[in-house]
Amino acid sequence: MSDRWVSGRQASGRRVSGRAALRRVGPARAAGAAAAVLLCAFPFYLDAFWLQVGLFSMAAAIGAIGLNLLSGTSGQLSLGHAFFLAVGAYGYVWLAGEPGPGLPPAVAMVLAVCLSGLAGGLFSPIAGRVRGVYLGVATLALVFLGQHVMVNAEGVTGGFNGRSVPPLEIGGFTFAETDPALVVLGVPFGAEERLWYLGLVLLAAVWFSARNLLRGRPGRALSALRDSEVAAAAMGVPVARYRSAAFVVSSMYAGLAGVLIALAFRGIVPDYFGLALSIDYLAMIVIGGLGSVGGATAGAVFVTALPLVMGRYADQLPLVAAPGATGHAIGPTEAARYLYGAAIILVLLYVPGGLGGLFRRRVRPPTPPVRQPKEQTP
Amino acid sequence: MSTAFDILLNGVALGSVYALVALGFVIIFKASGVMNFAHGSLLLLGGYLTAVLHERLGFYAALALAVLATALVAGAVDLILLRRLDPHATHVLTILTIGVDIALMTDLTRRIGGDLLSLGDPWGGSVSTFGGSTVPHTRIASIVVSLLVIGAVFAAFRFTAWGLSLRAAAEDREAAALMGIRLHRIRTLAWCLAGALAALAAVFLVAFPAPGLERTTGEIALKAFPAAILGGMTSPPGALLGSLLIGVTEALVAGYEAELSALGGGFGDVAPYAVMLLVLLARPNGLLGEKEAIRV
Amino acid sequence: MNRIGRPAAAVAALAALALLGSGCSSKSEDASAGTGSDGVKTGRGVTEKTVQLSALTDLTGPYATLGKSIVQAQKLWADEFNKAGGVCGREVRIEVKDHGYDVQKAVSAYAEVSPDTLAMPQVIGSPMVAALLDEVEGDKILTFPQAWSADLLGKDAVQVLGTTYDLDMIRAVDFLTREQGVKKGDTIGHVYFDGDYGANALEGTRHAAQKAGLKVVPKKIKATDTDLSAQVTALRGEKVDAILISAGPTQTASLVGVAAAQGLQVPVVTSAPGYAPQLMDTPAAPALEKTLHVVSAIPELGSDLDGVRKMVKAYQKRFPGELVDSGVLSGYNAAVLLGQDLEAACEAKDLTREGLIKAHRDRAAGDAGLGAPQDFTDASQPASLSAYIHRPDKAALGGTVLVEDARKAPGAQEYLDSAGE
Repeated sequence: MSDRWVSGRQASGRRVSGRAALRRVGPARAAGAAAAVLLCAFPFYLDAFWLQVGLFSMAAAIGAIGLNLLSGTSGQLSLGHAFFLAVGAYGYVWLAGEPGPGLPPAVAMVLAVCLSGLAGGLFSPIAGRVRGVYLGVATLALVFLGQHVMVNAEGVTGGFNGRSVPPLEIGGFTFAETDPALVVLGVPFGAEERLWYLGLVLLAAVWFSARNLLRGRPGRALSALRDSEVAAAAMGVPVARYRSAAFVVSSMYAGLAGVLIALAFRGIVPDYFGLALSIDYLAMIVIGGLGSVGGATAGAVFVTALPLVMGRYADQLPLVAAPGATGHAIGPTEAARYLYGAAIILVLLYVPGGLGGLFRRRVRPPTPPVRQPKEQTP
Repeated sequence: MSTAFDILLNGVALGSVYALVALGFVIIFKASGVMNFAHGSLLLLGGYLTAVLHERLGFYAALALAVLATALVAGAVDLILLRRLDPHATHVLTILTIGVDIALMTDLTRRIGGDLLSLGDPWGGSVSTFGGSTVPHTRIASIVVSLLVIGAVFAAFRFTAWGLSLRAAAEDREAAALMGIRLHRIRTLAWCLAGALAALAAVFLVAFPAPGLERTTGEIALKAFPAAILGGMTSPPGALLGSLLIGVTEALVAGYEAELSALGGGFGDVAPYAVMLLVLLARPNGLLGEKEAIRV
Repeated sequence: MNRIGRPAAAVAALAALALLGSGCSSKSEDASAGTGSDGVKTGRGVTEKTVQLSALTDLTGPYATLGKSIVQAQKLWADEFNKAGGVCGREVRIEVKDHGYDVQKAVSAYAEVSPDTLAMPQVIGSPMVAALLDEVEGDKILTFPQAWSADLLGKDAVQVLGTTYDLDMIRAVDFLTREQGVKKGDTIGHVYFDGDYGANALEGTRHAAQKAGLKVVPKKIKATDTDLSAQVTALRGEKVDAILISAGPTQTASLVGVAAAQGLQVPVVTSAPGYAPQLMDTPAAPALEKTLHVVSAIPELGSDLDGVRKMVKAYQKRFPGELVDSGVLSGYNAAVLLGQDLEAACEAKDLTREGLIKAHRDRAAGDAGLGAPQDFTDASQPASLSAYIHRPDKAALGGTVLVEDARKAPGAQEYLDSAGE
């Protein structure tokens, strides 16, 4: 029995060689540029609800890219991602806020990300010892212990009611509603509009850094680790160091996602950073298809935005009762949740490579599929 | 008798209920390598069916029917959904169970609404007193049933052809397939069994001292999750041991809360996780989990 | 590859798009304050014909029962209110958003409704209220949260109705010492939920116990605990003379049932969220009728107050077969009070968000005809210090009957003054 939670065969995303990646760069780049322009234009059209959905999705994407590095590429199952998000979010709020040292928010943001990385590093002795599904559950313990601390350490976290989040300021520019209001091209720029661009910049930075990491030497080392630690060690990969490095880097991404979530929420509470959030992140990377940055992003959007959007429009569906109707009628939330559950099942059944694979196939010029040898567990 | 003994007894009783849930996790994990996130909704399904059927059929018939129906639903999840996918892609299967859980749970909570349903079990609120300690009959029943069921499952693993095949498959899927073992059938059977156990566990989870079945009952299944891991996901006696350990820790910490207040109030609920971290540090494969041989 | 050209092109395209966009983007329209044709100042959430209210509720999570009761009660109110002519010739509308006890959904639902909302007669769920507190205050949307923690006081736009949890417990201790034979030197146990509900309640208990010379044994539990055997055993070991519980109905039922089974016969008191009429269908019902009392800021549903009787009749006619519980009354109460605020704001010819808050804060004796009048003038103080004591009764409407009429707990004022220092 293999207690490994994913074997190499399933995570095909990063199996593309550097050369192959270069070949499909042309059309992908054009599509990417078009997407970037479109994304930049959204705040001029969309209302606060959509911008917030977008912000949540971008934060989730950053977190998912981090988790993908850890669980998708290096094969270390983590159910503790919510904990590292919380470290980032609370780290920022405490460092930039009152009570707390009250540092400039930009500095607090950087330090919060480092703090998450440190938390990941501190956990790595356990991560180095425990494997597979047991690692998943050891990280699960982190979530529960973390929530316990968040509720009890009132001086730092504000206890059960959480704390309000100080707005980010970089070089005199505030990412929040200001008075007088900032108006760009006739459109008033409130907190959501400004944060949207921050989210875009951060996501882009994370996207490219993670892609470089995956395509370079560390990425190959990590996937070697996942496929066989013994083999990787024999080939000269320092196993323990890479395992813990993956933990640190993934936690830093999670910390950044936490900061962005905090900025988007403007008030954070421990209740949010629970097991459900961790499982959501796991769902994101699997639904997106393990091992690729694009997959993680697509999965993050699917898991984050779909329930929110469906919840908003479910009352338009036929046979759906008004919220709070008498009896046991199907209300909009129920309808949205049925659809969401079904969507997860359908994507996993009919898009085996994950959403990321769907996207890749469309961009890649048709080449005969590489037949992978049906090797046994090494 | 002393309070300490009372508390211990509470812990063992609570642990025996967790054990029934944890055993379901273990069986599915052993057979398919999947962490079944839909276990909570299966549990709720079993409890709900018992609750709506018991007035017409009587408790035992209703329970039997609920156990059967939940087993069939669990089997169907495997047969209709999981079987379509690569059995090696355990991570995909695991996430698929989340989708199943969302759909099933939504429907059950919609039906239950705000009701607090009684399962009509024959024990009611009756208790027995042993030297000053009171024990509810539901808890005695749950301890007896857990022991019997876990014994039976353990025996089935050991002595039946199905159990042998399952262990062989868990050991090495390809080799087992080469030996002519029908992996699919074994796995579906394991799901059925886990579903049946979940329905059974529901009875003891919502019977006295708990007031009845409500929409959040399924969440309690999550408490059995660390129990299953603690004992080693692959071992039924381990699940029992882990569950007892967690039940007793919870009861102890709740009983001696004042003495432990330095750790923050309500530490009882996280104590099992702290215990688990310590156990995993010492024994990375759980208490009774099999040591993984590293093959090259 | 053209490394310089791409970003430049992108920027150019973006600029073009944005310029184009600003022309046809609906966002550039300024839909804010003005004065209607009838001379009434209006702002966001108010048009010539309608006044938009929103409710962030839980219809699919743990508080679904409460959420449904409140939604229906407020629907009933809105219909009555509009039938009677609405406010300033405008109809009220309530947009109901279900967050299912999920913080992220609540935040996103708020972002959706807040631009066009004048007030919120309902927000359920402590974590959701806590996460939105600053937003609501900043947007000046008058909000009545269905949570009664003292932590929510001190915000101009947020109005906790009735008593807070800590005052309820002070009232409970007062009741225990006067009527249930608890005396100086006794010990009381307090089983409470992790979170602001429990923490705030415990604060009240500690204060009252200290004044009365009682010892408090706190036991913290979580919402997923449904078997309180361990807690009861421990409390029995401490030889408690009474138990307070600040948790959900499930926990109250387990606590009372286990205590009865273990032969621990002491009075138990909870506050309104710790009891539901559904409990009377469980095996714990006889024990509940025998030992439990409920502190409540609103009267029982069988009350002979005119307002309550009329409301119950109308509700049963409008929603036949639906359970009538205290959530119905509390939701209706909130809506009626908001309706009075709207009328006051209309009279002052200022239906803006600021105008509504001002009208609300000017009322020293808000009386919906559904229990004790409330004082809204000081945002940092609870609106009321008086609470009723009820007792479970299977046969009664709403599952409770009156034991003691609304009264101020002695020491409540002193407690508030000491907290203010």
